Amino acid sequence: MAQLDSLRKQTADEPALAPAAGDVGPADGLGGLAWLSRREILRVWKVWTQAVLAPVVSSMLFILVFGVSLGGRIREVAGFPYEVFVVPGLIVMAMVQAAYNNNASTIYQARSDRYVNDVLSAPMKPWQMNLGFNVGGIVRAIAIGAFLLLLALPLTGVGVAQPLVLVPAVLFGVVLFGALGTVVGIYAEQWDHTTFISNIVILPLAFVGGVFYSIDLLGSPWHELSHFNPVFYLVNAVRYGFLGTSDVSVALSLGVTAALAIPTYLWAQYLFTSGRRLKA
Amino acid sequence: MLQSAPALEIRELTKRYDDGTLALEDTDLTVPDGAFFGLLGPNGAGKTTLINAVCNLIRVTSGEVLVFGEPADTLAARRSVGLAEQDINLDRFLTVEETLVYHGGYFGMAGDEARARAADMIETFDLRAKADVRTPKLSGGMRRRLLLARALMHRPRLVILDEPTAGVDFELRQELWTYIRRLHEEGTTILLTTHYLEEAETLCEEIALIRDGELIARDTAEGLRERYGGNTLADVYVKAMGMPVP
Ligand SMILES: Nc1ncnc2c1ncn2[C@@H]1O[C@H](COP(=O)(O)OP(=O)(O)OP(=O)(O)O)[C@@H](O)[C@H]1O
Ligand SMILES: [Mg+2]
Repeated sequence: MAQLDSLRKQTADEPALAPAAGDVGPADGLGGLAWLSRREILRVWKVWTQAVLAPVVSSMLFILVFGVSLGGRIREVAGFPYEVFVVPGLIVMAMVQAAYNNNASTIYQARSDRYVNDVLSAPMKPWQMNLGFNVGGIVRAIAIGAFLLLLALPLTGVGVAQPLVLVPAVLFGVVLFGALGTVVGIYAEQWDHTTFISNIVILPLAFVGGVFYSIDLLGSPWHELSHFNPVFYLVNAVRYGFLGTSDVSVALSLGVTAALAIPTYLWAQYLFTSGRRLKA
Repeated sequence: MLQSAPALEIRELTKRYDDGTLALEDTDLTVPDGAFFGLLGPNGAGKTTLINAVCNLIRVTSGEVLVFGEPADTLAARRSVGLAEQDINLDRFLTVEETLVYHGGYFGMAGDEARARAADMIETFDLRAKADVRTPKLSGGMRRRLLLARALMHRPRLVILDEPTAGVDFELRQELWTYIRRLHEEGTTILLTTHYLEEAETLCEEIALIRDGELIARDTAEGLRERYGGNTLADVYVKAMGMPVP
Protein backbone atom coordinates (compact mmCIF):
# COMPACT_ATOMS: atom_id res chain seq x y z
CA MET A 1 0.00 0.00 0.00
CA ALA A 2 1.44 3.25 -1.14
CA GLN A 3 0.36 5.16 1.93
CA LEU A 4 2.01 2.83 4.35
CA ASP A 5 5.15 2.77 2.27
CA SER A 6 5.33 6.51 2.31
CA LEU A 7 4.68 6.57 6.03
CA ARG A 8 7.69 4.36 6.51
CA LYS A 9 9.73 6.55 4.25
CA GLN A 10 8.77 9.61 6.21
CA THR A 11 9.65 8.00 9.49
CA ALA A 12 13.11 7.46 8.11
CA ASP A 13 13.49 11.12 7.15
CA GLU A 14 12.15 13.49 9.73
CA PRO A 15 9.04 13.79 11.86
CA ALA A 16 7.02 14.91 8.88
CA LEU A 17 3.65 14.99 10.55
CA ALA A 18 4.19 16.50 13.95
CA PRO A 19 3.64 20.17 14.48
CA ALA A 20 6.96 21.95 14.12
CA ALA A 21 7.24 25.20 15.97
CA GLY A 22 8.63 28.16 14.10
CA ASP A 23 8.14 26.85 10.58
CA VAL A 24 5.50 29.44 9.82
CA GLY A 25 5.76 33.17 9.39
CA PRO A 26 4.46 35.83 11.77
CA ALA A 27 0.78 35.57 12.69
CA ASP A 28 -0.34 38.77 10.98
CA GLY A 29 -2.48 37.21 8.26
CA LEU A 30 -0.72 39.16 5.50
CA GLY A 31 0.58 35.98 3.87
CA GLY A 32 -2.99 34.67 3.93
CA LEU A 33 -4.22 37.84 2.24
CA ALA A 34 -1.58 37.47 -0.46
CA TRP A 35 -2.58 33.85 -1.13
CA LEU A 36 -6.28 34.58 -1.12
CA SER A 37 -5.73 37.45 -3.59
CA ARG A 38 -3.63 35.13 -5.69
CA ARG A 39 -6.37 32.53 -5.62
CA GLU A 40 -8.91 35.08 -6.82
CA ILE A 41 -6.62 36.15 -9.66
CA LEU A 42 -5.90 32.52 -10.55
CA ARG A 43 -9.65 31.95 -10.77
CA VAL A 44 -9.95 34.78 -13.30
CA TRP A 45 -6.94 33.47 -15.19
CA LYS A 46 -8.28 29.92 -15.38
CA VAL A 47 -11.48 31.12 -17.05
CA TRP A 48 -10.00 34.13 -18.86
CA THR A 49 -11.91 33.47 -22.07
CA GLN A 50 -15.21 33.98 -20.24
CA ALA A 51 -13.91 36.41 -17.68
CA VAL A 52 -11.91 38.77 -19.87
CA LEU A 53 -12.16 37.88 -23.54
CA ALA A 54 -15.97 37.65 -23.75
CA PRO A 55 -16.69 41.09 -22.27
CA VAL A 56 -13.91 42.62 -24.41
CA VAL A 57 -15.44 41.14 -27.57
CA SER A 58 -18.99 42.22 -26.71
CA SER A 59 -17.91 45.75 -25.81
CA MET A 60 -15.91 45.97 -29.03
CA LEU A 61 -19.07 44.99 -30.92
CA PHE A 62 -20.91 47.81 -29.18
CA ILE A 63 -18.13 50.23 -30.04
CA LEU A 64 -18.12 49.10 -33.68
CA VAL A 65 -21.89 48.97 -34.15
CA PHE A 66 -22.97 51.99 -32.12
CA GLY A 67 -19.92 54.08 -32.67
CA VAL A 68 -18.19 53.40 -35.91
CA SER A 69 -21.14 52.35 -38.09
CA LEU A 70 -23.91 54.55 -36.64
CA GLY A 71 -21.41 57.29 -35.91
CA GLY A 72 -21.53 58.57 -39.46
CA ARG A 73 -25.27 59.24 -39.18
CA ILE A 74 -25.36 60.72 -35.69
CA ARG A 75 -24.27 64.27 -35.26
CA GLU A 76 -21.50 65.11 -32.90
CA VAL A 77 -22.25 64.81 -29.20
CA ALA A 78 -20.73 67.34 -26.82
CA GLY A 79 -18.30 68.31 -29.54
CA PHE A 80 -16.99 64.80 -30.14
CA PRO A 81 -17.61 62.36 -32.97
CA TYR A 82 -20.14 59.83 -31.73
CA GLU A 83 -17.74 56.87 -31.95
CA VAL A 84 -15.40 58.70 -29.60
CA PHE A 85 -18.16 59.90 -27.29
CA VAL A 86 -19.52 56.39 -26.51
CA VAL A 87 -16.17 54.70 -25.84
CA PRO A 88 -15.59 55.86 -22.22
CA GLY A 89 -19.04 54.81 -21.04
CA LEU A 90 -18.84 51.45 -22.80
CA ILE A 91 -15.44 50.73 -21.32
CA VAL A 92 -16.40 51.62 -17.77
CA MET A 93 -19.67 49.70 -17.97
CA ALA A 94 -17.83 46.59 -19.16
CA MET A 95 -15.43 47.04 -16.25
CA VAL A 96 -17.96 47.51 -13.48
CA GLN A 97 -20.19 44.71 -14.71
CA ALA A 98 -17.22 42.36 -14.71
CA ALA A 99 -16.27 43.49 -11.20
CA TYR A 100 -19.82 42.88 -10.01
CA ASN A 101 -20.26 39.52 -11.71
CA ASN A 102 -16.85 38.25 -10.68
CA ASN A 103 -17.19 39.07 -7.02
CA ALA A 104 -20.80 37.98 -6.76
CA SER A 105 -19.96 34.61 -8.28
CA THR A 106 -16.72 33.94 -6.41
CA ILE A 107 -18.21 34.46 -2.95
CA TYR A 108 -21.49 32.80 -3.90
CA GLN A 109 -19.66 29.69 -5.11
CA ALA A 110 -17.39 29.71 -2.08
CA ARG A 111 -20.50 29.74 0.10
CA SER A 112 -22.44 27.13 -1.83
CA ASP A 113 -19.46 24.75 -2.07
CA ARG A 114 -18.72 25.73 1.54
CA TYR A 115 -15.10 26.11 0.61
CA VAL A 116 -15.38 29.57 2.17
CA ASN A 117 -14.93 27.78 5.50
CA ASP A 118 -11.32 27.09 4.58
CA VAL A 119 -10.80 30.86 4.51
CA LEU A 120 -13.06 31.70 7.46
CA SER A 121 -11.19 29.23 9.66
CA ALA A 122 -7.78 30.51 8.53
CA PRO A 123 -5.65 32.88 10.62
CA MET A 124 -6.71 35.97 8.70
CA LYS A 125 -8.37 39.15 9.85
CA PRO A 126 -11.83 40.04 8.53
CA TRP A 127 -10.46 43.00 6.54
CA GLN A 128 -7.99 40.65 4.87
CA MET A 129 -10.76 38.22 3.89
CA ASN A 130 -12.89 41.06 2.51
CA LEU A 131 -10.05 42.57 0.54
CA GLY A 132 -8.88 39.17 -0.74
CA PHE A 133 -12.34 38.23 -2.00
CA ASN A 134 -12.67 41.63 -3.72
CA VAL A 135 -9.34 41.54 -5.53
CA GLY A 136 -10.44 39.25 -8.38
CA GLY A 137 -13.13 41.60 -9.65
CA ILE A 138 -10.81 44.58 -9.52
CA VAL A 139 -8.04 42.81 -11.42
CA ARG A 140 -10.47 41.40 -13.94
CA ALA A 141 -12.04 44.82 -14.54
CA ILE A 142 -8.67 46.45 -15.02
CA ALA A 143 -7.63 43.76 -17.50
CA ILE A 144 -10.82 44.33 -19.49
CA GLY A 145 -10.39 48.10 -19.38
CA ALA A 146 -6.79 47.88 -20.54
CA PHE A 147 -7.63 45.61 -23.48
CA LEU A 148 -10.55 47.78 -24.54
CA LEU A 149 -8.45 50.91 -24.39
CA LEU A 150 -5.76 49.30 -26.51
CA LEU A 151 -8.33 48.26 -29.11
CA ALA A 152 -10.40 51.43 -29.06
CA LEU A 153 -7.42 53.73 -29.31
CA PRO A 154 -6.50 52.96 -32.94
CA LEU A 155 -10.12 52.32 -33.99
CA THR A 156 -11.73 55.51 -32.73
CA GLY A 157 -8.84 57.76 -31.83
CA VAL A 158 -10.11 58.23 -28.26
CA GLY A 159 -7.36 59.44 -25.92
CA VAL A 160 -6.84 59.96 -22.21
CA ALA A 161 -7.19 63.68 -21.54
CA GLN A 162 -7.21 63.65 -17.72
CA PRO A 163 -5.43 60.59 -16.32
CA LEU A 164 -5.53 62.03 -12.81
CA VAL A 165 -9.30 61.96 -12.97
CA LEU A 166 -9.59 58.76 -14.96
CA VAL A 167 -7.65 56.60 -12.50
CA PRO A 168 -9.63 57.46 -9.34
CA ALA A 169 -12.93 57.45 -11.27
CA VAL A 170 -12.32 53.96 -12.58
CA LEU A 171 -11.03 52.76 -9.23
CA PHE A 172 -14.03 54.04 -7.28
CA GLY A 173 -16.39 52.60 -9.88
CA VAL A 174 -14.76 49.20 -9.81
CA VAL A 175 -14.64 49.12 -6.00
CA LEU A 176 -18.28 50.21 -5.84
CA PHE A 177 -19.57 47.49 -8.14
CA GLY A 178 -17.05 44.86 -7.00
CA ALA A 179 -18.07 45.35 -3.37
CA LEU A 180 -21.73 45.37 -4.39
CA GLY A 181 -21.09 41.98 -6.02
CA THR A 182 -19.53 40.70 -2.82
CA VAL A 183 -22.47 41.92 -0.76
CA VAL A 184 -25.07 40.46 -3.12
CA GLY A 185 -23.08 37.19 -3.38
CA ILE A 186 -23.11 36.93 0.41
CA TYR A 187 -26.84 37.63 0.75
CA ALA A 188 -27.95 35.57 -2.28
CA GLU A 189 -29.78 32.38 -1.48
CA GLN A 190 -29.84 31.33 -5.11
CA TRP A 191 -27.62 32.22 -8.00
CA ASP A 192 -30.60 33.94 -9.68
CA HIS A 193 -30.55 36.62 -7.03
CA THR A 194 -27.18 37.89 -8.25
CA THR A 195 -28.21 37.98 -11.91
CA PHE A 196 -31.47 39.64 -10.89
CA ILE A 197 -29.60 42.60 -9.42
CA SER A 198 -27.40 42.74 -12.50
CA ASN A 199 -30.31 42.71 -14.97
CA ILE A 200 -32.83 44.75 -13.01
CA VAL A 201 -30.59 47.34 -11.39
CA ILE A 202 -27.18 47.70 -12.99
CA LEU A 203 -28.04 47.30 -16.67
CA PRO A 204 -31.06 49.67 -16.71
CA LEU A 205 -29.17 52.31 -14.73
CA ALA A 206 -26.32 52.02 -17.22
CA PHE A 207 -28.67 52.43 -20.18
CA VAL A 208 -30.20 55.61 -18.79
CA GLY A 209 -26.91 56.75 -17.25
CA GLY A 210 -25.64 58.64 -20.25
CA VAL A 211 -23.41 55.95 -21.77
CA PHE A 212 -24.96 56.47 -25.21
CA TYR A 213 -25.96 60.13 -25.05
CA SER A 214 -25.34 63.40 -23.30
CA ILE A 215 -28.18 64.21 -20.92
CA ASP A 216 -28.23 67.68 -22.44
CA LEU A 217 -30.12 66.01 -25.27
CA LEU A 218 -32.88 64.96 -22.87
CA GLY A 219 -35.93 67.02 -22.08
CA SER A 220 -37.52 67.49 -18.68
CA PRO A 221 -38.04 65.47 -16.49
CA TRP A 222 -35.53 62.89 -17.81
CA HIS A 223 -32.72 65.38 -17.66
CA GLU A 224 -33.34 66.05 -13.95
CA LEU A 225 -34.03 62.42 -13.13
CA SER A 226 -30.66 61.42 -14.51
CA HIS A 227 -29.09 63.23 -11.60
CA PHE A 228 -30.47 60.56 -9.27
CA ASN A 229 -28.72 57.80 -11.18
CA PRO A 230 -25.37 56.87 -9.62
CA VAL A 231 -24.12 55.38 -12.88
CA PHE A 232 -24.58 58.79 -14.51
CA TYR A 233 -21.87 60.23 -12.23
CA LEU A 234 -19.55 57.33 -12.78
CA VAL A 235 -19.92 57.55 -16.56
CA ASN A 236 -19.36 61.28 -16.51
CA ALA A 237 -16.31 61.08 -14.27
CA VAL A 238 -14.80 58.48 -16.58
CA ARG A 239 -15.78 60.38 -19.70
CA TYR A 240 -14.09 63.44 -18.31
CA GLY A 241 -10.97 61.33 -17.71
CA PHE A 242 -10.96 60.23 -21.36
CA LEU A 243 -12.31 63.26 -23.20
CA GLY A 244 -11.99 66.17 -20.79
CA THR A 245 -15.74 66.84 -21.02
CA SER A 246 -18.62 66.06 -18.71
CA ASP A 247 -22.33 66.81 -18.22
CA VAL A 248 -21.74 67.72 -14.59
CA SER A 249 -18.89 68.99 -12.46
CA VAL A 250 -16.03 66.53 -12.17
CA ALA A 251 -15.71 67.02 -8.45
CA LEU A 252 -19.37 66.14 -8.02
CA SER A 253 -19.02 63.06 -10.24
CA LEU A 254 -15.98 61.79 -8.40
CA GLY A 255 -17.50 62.71 -5.05
CA VAL A 256 -20.76 60.85 -5.66
CA THR A 257 -18.93 57.78 -6.95
CA ALA A 258 -16.61 57.72 -3.94
CA ALA A 259 -19.48 58.43 -1.57
CA LEU A 260 -21.16 55.27 -2.86
CA ALA A 261 -18.05 53.13 -3.18
CA ILE A 262 -16.81 53.58 0.36
CA PRO A 263 -20.01 52.61 2.22
CA THR A 264 -20.58 49.68 -0.13
CA TYR A 265 -17.10 48.36 0.58
CA LEU A 266 -17.71 48.89 4.31
CA TRP A 267 -20.98 46.99 4.00
CA ALA A 268 -19.04 44.00 2.66
CA GLN A 269 -16.56 44.51 5.47
CA TYR A 270 -19.35 44.46 8.02
CA LEU A 271 -20.48 41.09 6.68
CA PHE A 272 -17.00 39.63 7.09
CA THR A 273 -16.47 41.19 10.52
CA SER A 274 -19.83 40.17 11.97
CA GLY A 275 -20.01 36.84 10.14
CA ARG A 276 -23.62 37.62 9.29
CA ARG A 277 -24.79 35.40 6.41
CA LEU A 278 -21.31 33.86 6.12
CA LYS A 279 -21.47 31.94 9.39
CA ALA A 280 -24.57 30.20 10.72
CA MET B 1 2.48 29.97 24.36
CA LEU B 2 1.45 28.32 27.60
CA GLN B 3 2.89 24.81 27.71
CA SER B 4 0.31 23.68 30.23
CA ALA B 5 -2.76 25.06 28.46
CA PRO B 6 -5.23 22.40 27.32
CA ALA B 7 -5.62 21.97 23.58
CA LEU B 8 -9.23 22.96 23.90
CA GLU B 9 -11.20 24.58 26.64
CA ILE B 10 -14.88 25.28 26.16
CA ARG B 11 -16.76 27.13 28.87
CA GLU B 12 -20.53 27.51 29.03
CA LEU B 13 -20.88 27.43 25.29
CA THR B 14 -24.37 28.10 24.00
CA LYS B 15 -25.39 28.20 20.37
CA ARG B 16 -28.85 29.12 19.23
CA TYR B 17 -29.20 29.23 15.45
CA ASP B 18 -31.11 32.05 13.82
CA ASP B 19 -34.14 29.81 13.31
CA GLY B 20 -34.32 29.27 17.07
CA THR B 21 -32.73 25.80 17.23
CA LEU B 22 -30.81 25.46 20.47
CA ALA B 23 -27.91 23.25 19.38
CA LEU B 24 -25.70 23.60 22.47
CA GLU B 25 -26.54 24.84 25.93
CA ASP B 26 -23.95 25.79 28.56
CA THR B 27 -21.55 23.15 27.34
CA ASP B 28 -18.21 22.75 29.10
CA LEU B 29 -15.45 20.59 27.66
CA THR B 30 -11.70 20.40 28.16
CA VAL B 31 -9.47 18.41 25.85
CA PRO B 32 -5.93 18.03 27.24
CA ASP B 33 -2.91 18.73 25.10
CA GLY B 34 -1.86 15.53 23.34
CA ALA B 35 -5.15 13.67 23.85
CA PHE B 36 -6.94 11.43 21.39
CA PHE B 37 -10.45 12.52 22.19
CA GLY B 38 -13.73 11.17 20.86
CA LEU B 39 -16.98 13.10 20.71
CA LEU B 40 -19.88 10.73 20.20
CA GLY B 41 -23.58 11.27 19.88
CA PRO B 42 -26.52 10.71 17.56
CA ASN B 43 -27.39 12.79 14.51
CA GLY B 44 -28.25 16.32 15.48
CA ALA B 45 -26.67 16.07 18.94
CA GLY B 46 -24.52 19.16 18.39
CA LYS B 47 -21.09 17.69 17.53
CA THR B 48 -20.56 19.69 14.37
CA THR B 49 -21.90 22.80 16.04
CA LEU B 50 -19.31 22.42 18.80
CA ILE B 51 -16.55 21.94 16.26
CA ASN B 52 -17.69 24.93 14.24
CA ALA B 53 -17.52 27.07 17.36
CA VAL B 54 -13.88 26.06 17.77
CA CYS B 55 -13.10 26.80 14.12
CA ASN B 56 -14.66 30.24 13.82
CA LEU B 57 -17.41 28.92 11.57
CA ILE B 58 -20.47 29.92 13.59
CA ARG B 59 -21.45 32.98 15.57
CA VAL B 60 -21.56 31.63 19.11
CA THR B 61 -24.45 32.86 21.22
CA SER B 62 -22.49 32.91 24.48
CA GLY B 63 -19.58 31.25 26.19
CA GLU B 64 -15.87 31.00 25.70
CA VAL B 65 -13.63 28.83 23.53
CA LEU B 66 -9.88 28.68 24.13
CA VAL B 67 -7.42 26.85 21.90
CA PHE B 68 -4.10 26.23 23.66
CA GLY B 69 -5.07 29.07 25.98
CA GLU B 70 -5.84 31.55 23.21
CA PRO B 71 -9.38 32.75 22.40
CA ALA B 72 -10.63 30.83 19.37
CA ASP B 73 -11.01 33.93 17.22
CA THR B 74 -7.34 34.98 17.52
CA LEU B 75 -4.93 34.33 14.70
CA ALA B 76 -2.69 32.23 16.96
CA ALA B 77 -5.60 29.95 17.82
CA ARG B 78 -6.72 29.75 14.23
CA ARG B 79 -3.32 28.63 13.07
CA SER B 80 -3.03 25.82 15.59
CA VAL B 81 -6.23 24.08 14.45
CA GLY B 82 -6.68 21.87 11.41
CA LEU B 83 -10.22 20.88 10.47
CA ALA B 84 -11.53 18.17 8.19
CA GLU B 85 -15.22 18.92 7.94
CA GLN B 86 -17.95 16.33 7.85
CA ASP B 87 -19.15 17.54 4.46
CA ILE B 88 -16.62 17.79 1.70
CA ASN B 89 -15.86 21.43 0.96
CA LEU B 90 -13.20 21.68 -1.70
CA ASP B 91 -12.44 24.64 -3.94
CA ARG B 92 -13.67 23.62 -7.40
CA PHE B 93 -11.26 25.93 -9.21
CA LEU B 94 -8.12 24.37 -7.78
CA THR B 95 -6.23 21.19 -8.51
CA VAL B 96 -5.27 18.77 -5.76
CA GLU B 97 -1.85 20.31 -5.41
CA GLU B 98 -3.16 23.86 -5.51
CA THR B 99 -5.76 23.01 -2.88
CA LEU B 100 -2.97 22.09 -0.48
CA VAL B 101 -0.56 24.87 -1.38
CA TYR B 102 -3.21 27.61 -1.17
CA HIS B 103 -4.48 26.27 2.12
CA GLY B 104 -0.92 26.38 3.44
CA GLY B 105 -0.73 29.97 2.21
CA TYR B 106 -3.97 30.97 3.92
CA PHE B 107 -2.51 29.51 7.11
CA GLY B 108 0.69 31.53 6.88
CA MET B 109 3.12 29.13 5.19
CA ALA B 110 5.63 30.50 2.72
CA GLY B 111 5.38 29.31 -0.89
CA ASP B 112 8.38 26.97 -0.97
CA GLU B 113 7.53 25.43 2.33
CA ALA B 114 3.90 24.94 1.31
CA ARG B 115 4.89 23.30 -1.98
CA ALA B 116 7.29 20.91 -0.25
CA ARG B 117 4.72 20.03 2.38
CA ALA B 118 2.02 19.57 -0.28
CA ALA B 119 4.27 17.13 -2.14
CA ASP B 120 4.68 15.11 1.08
CA MET B 121 0.95 15.09 1.75
CA ILE B 122 0.21 14.04 -1.82
CA GLU B 123 2.55 11.07 -1.39
CA THR B 124 1.18 10.17 2.00
CA PHE B 125 -2.42 10.25 0.89
CA ASP B 126 -1.69 8.49 -2.39
CA LEU B 127 -2.89 11.32 -4.60
CA ARG B 128 0.17 11.54 -6.85
CA ALA B 129 -1.71 10.44 -9.98
CA LYS B 130 -4.30 13.16 -9.40
CA ALA B 131 -2.05 15.99 -8.26
CA ASP B 132 -2.89 18.17 -11.28
CA VAL B 133 -6.56 17.27 -11.48
CA ARG B 134 -9.21 19.72 -10.39
CA THR B 135 -11.16 18.70 -7.31
CA PRO B 136 -14.57 18.12 -8.98
CA LYS B 137 -12.96 15.30 -10.95
CA LEU B 138 -11.91 13.29 -7.90
CA SER B 139 -13.74 10.23 -6.63
CA GLY B 140 -15.49 10.45 -3.27
CA GLY B 141 -12.71 8.65 -1.41
CA MET B 142 -10.06 10.82 -3.03
CA ARG B 143 -11.92 13.94 -1.97
CA ARG B 144 -12.04 12.64 1.57
CA ARG B 145 -8.29 12.00 1.48
CA LEU B 146 -7.63 15.47 0.13
CA LEU B 147 -9.81 16.95 2.83
CA LEU B 148 -7.68 15.22 5.46
CA ALA B 149 -4.43 16.18 3.77
CA ARG B 150 -5.63 19.79 3.72
CA ALA B 151 -6.50 19.69 7.42
CA LEU B 152 -2.97 18.49 8.23
CA MET B 153 -1.22 20.67 5.69
CA HIS B 154 -0.17 23.49 8.03
CA ARG B 155 0.95 21.10 10.80
CA PRO B 156 -1.75 22.03 13.30
CA ARG B 157 -1.29 21.04 16.94
CA LEU B 158 -5.00 20.28 17.23
CA VAL B 159 -6.56 18.24 14.46
CA ILE B 160 -10.35 18.06 14.37
CA LEU B 161 -11.85 15.26 12.33
CA ASP B 162 -15.63 15.40 11.91
CA GLU B 163 -16.62 11.93 10.73
CA PRO B 164 -13.50 11.49 8.62
CA THR B 165 -14.37 7.93 7.62
CA ALA B 166 -17.94 8.52 6.48
CA GLY B 167 -18.31 6.91 3.06
CA VAL B 168 -14.75 5.65 3.03
CA ASP B 169 -13.94 2.06 2.04
CA PHE B 170 -12.52 -0.43 4.52
CA GLU B 171 -8.97 -0.32 3.26
CA LEU B 172 -8.73 3.45 3.28
CA ARG B 173 -10.26 3.53 6.73
CA GLN B 174 -7.52 1.27 8.05
CA GLU B 175 -4.91 3.43 6.37
CA LEU B 176 -6.40 6.60 7.76
CA TRP B 177 -6.40 5.25 11.27
CA THR B 178 -2.80 4.14 10.96
CA TYR B 179 -1.94 7.61 9.82
CA ILE B 180 -3.94 9.44 12.45
CA ARG B 181 -2.52 7.22 15.19
CA ARG B 182 0.96 8.08 14.09
CA LEU B 183 0.09 11.76 14.09
CA HIS B 184 -1.16 11.39 17.62
CA GLU B 185 1.95 9.52 18.72
CA GLU B 186 4.00 12.44 17.50
CA GLY B 187 2.15 14.74 19.87
CA THR B 188 -0.79 16.09 17.88
CA THR B 189 -4.05 16.40 19.77
CA ILE B 190 -6.93 14.71 17.95
CA LEU B 191 -10.61 15.51 18.37
CA LEU B 192 -12.69 12.96 16.52
CA THR B 193 -16.37 12.43 15.88
CA THR B 194 -17.50 9.19 14.36
CA HIS B 195 -20.52 6.92 14.28
CA TYR B 196 -18.23 3.85 14.13
CA LEU B 197 -18.22 3.05 17.82
CA GLU B 198 -15.65 0.24 17.61
CA GLU B 199 -13.24 2.67 16.04
CA ALA B 200 -13.79 5.18 18.79
CA GLU B 201 -13.36 2.47 21.38
CA THR B 202 -9.97 1.33 20.09
CA LEU B 203 -8.60 4.74 19.15
CA CYS B 204 -9.78 7.27 21.69
CA GLU B 205 -8.18 7.68 25.09
CA GLU B 206 -11.16 9.64 26.27
CA ILE B 207 -14.71 9.90 25.06
CA ALA B 208 -17.44 12.45 25.61
CA LEU B 209 -21.06 11.56 24.94
CA ILE B 210 -23.30 14.33 23.71
CA ARG B 211 -27.05 14.27 23.33
CA ASP B 212 -29.46 17.08 22.47
CA GLY B 213 -26.76 19.69 22.93
CA GLU B 214 -25.68 18.49 26.37
CA LEU B 215 -22.57 16.58 27.37
CA ILE B 216 -23.89 13.66 29.39
CA ALA B 217 -20.70 11.74 30.15
CA ARG B 218 -16.98 11.96 29.73
CA ASP B 219 -14.52 9.19 30.55
CA THR B 220 -12.23 6.54 29.11
CA ALA B 221 -13.98 3.81 27.14
CA GLU B 222 -13.37 1.50 30.10
CA GLY B 223 -14.73 4.02 32.58
CA LEU B 224 -17.86 4.44 30.49
CA ARG B 225 -18.36 0.67 30.26
CA GLU B 226 -18.15 0.39 34.03
CA ARG B 227 -20.41 3.32 34.65
CA TYR B 228 -23.14 2.21 32.27
CA GLY B 229 -22.60 -1.52 32.74
CA GLY B 230 -21.97 -2.64 29.19
CA ASN B 231 -19.54 -4.96 27.45
CA THR B 232 -18.84 -2.66 24.56
CA LEU B 233 -19.01 1.02 23.85
CA ALA B 234 -22.01 0.25 21.69
CA ASP B 235 -23.87 -1.02 24.78
CA VAL B 236 -22.88 2.11 26.64
CA TYR B 237 -24.02 4.28 23.78
CA VAL B 238 -27.43 2.66 23.56
CA LYS B 239 -27.96 3.01 27.29
CA ALA B 240 -26.61 6.54 27.53
CA MET B 241 -28.66 7.84 24.68
CA GLY B 242 -31.81 6.17 25.89
CA MET B 243 -31.46 7.25 29.49
CA PRO B 244 -32.68 10.52 30.95
CA VAL B 245 -29.93 12.99 31.70
CA PRO B 246 -28.53 12.11 35.18
N1 LIG C 1 -27.20 26.19 10.07
C1 LIG C 1 -28.11 25.72 10.92
N2 LIG C 1 -29.26 26.38 11.13
C2 LIG C 1 -30.18 25.91 11.99
N3 LIG C 1 -30.04 24.78 12.69
C3 LIG C 1 -28.92 24.07 12.53
C4 LIG C 1 -27.89 24.50 11.64
N4 LIG C 1 -26.88 23.59 11.68
C5 LIG C 1 -27.27 22.65 12.57
N5 LIG C 1 -28.49 22.94 13.07
C6 LIG C 1 -29.24 22.16 14.08
O1 LIG C 1 -28.45 22.08 15.25
C7 LIG C 1 -28.57 20.77 15.83
C8 LIG C 1 -27.19 20.16 15.98
O2 LIG C 1 -26.67 19.92 14.68
P1 LIG C 1 -25.19 19.41 14.44
O3 LIG C 1 -24.90 19.53 13.00
O4 LIG C 1 -24.28 20.11 15.39
O5 LIG C 1 -25.32 17.87 14.86
P2 LIG C 1 -24.26 16.68 14.78
O6 LIG C 1 -24.12 16.17 16.17
O7 LIG C 1 -23.05 17.09 14.09
O8 LIG C 1 -25.07 15.61 13.93
P3 LIG C 1 -24.56 14.54 12.81
O9 LIG C 1 -24.10 13.32 13.53
O10 LIG C 1 -25.80 14.28 12.03
O11 LIG C 1 -23.49 15.20 12.02
C9 LIG C 1 -29.52 20.00 14.94
O12 LIG C 1 -30.81 20.10 15.49
C10 LIG C 1 -29.46 20.74 13.62
O13 LIG C 1 -30.66 20.61 12.91
MG1 LIG D 1 -22.16 16.60 12.38
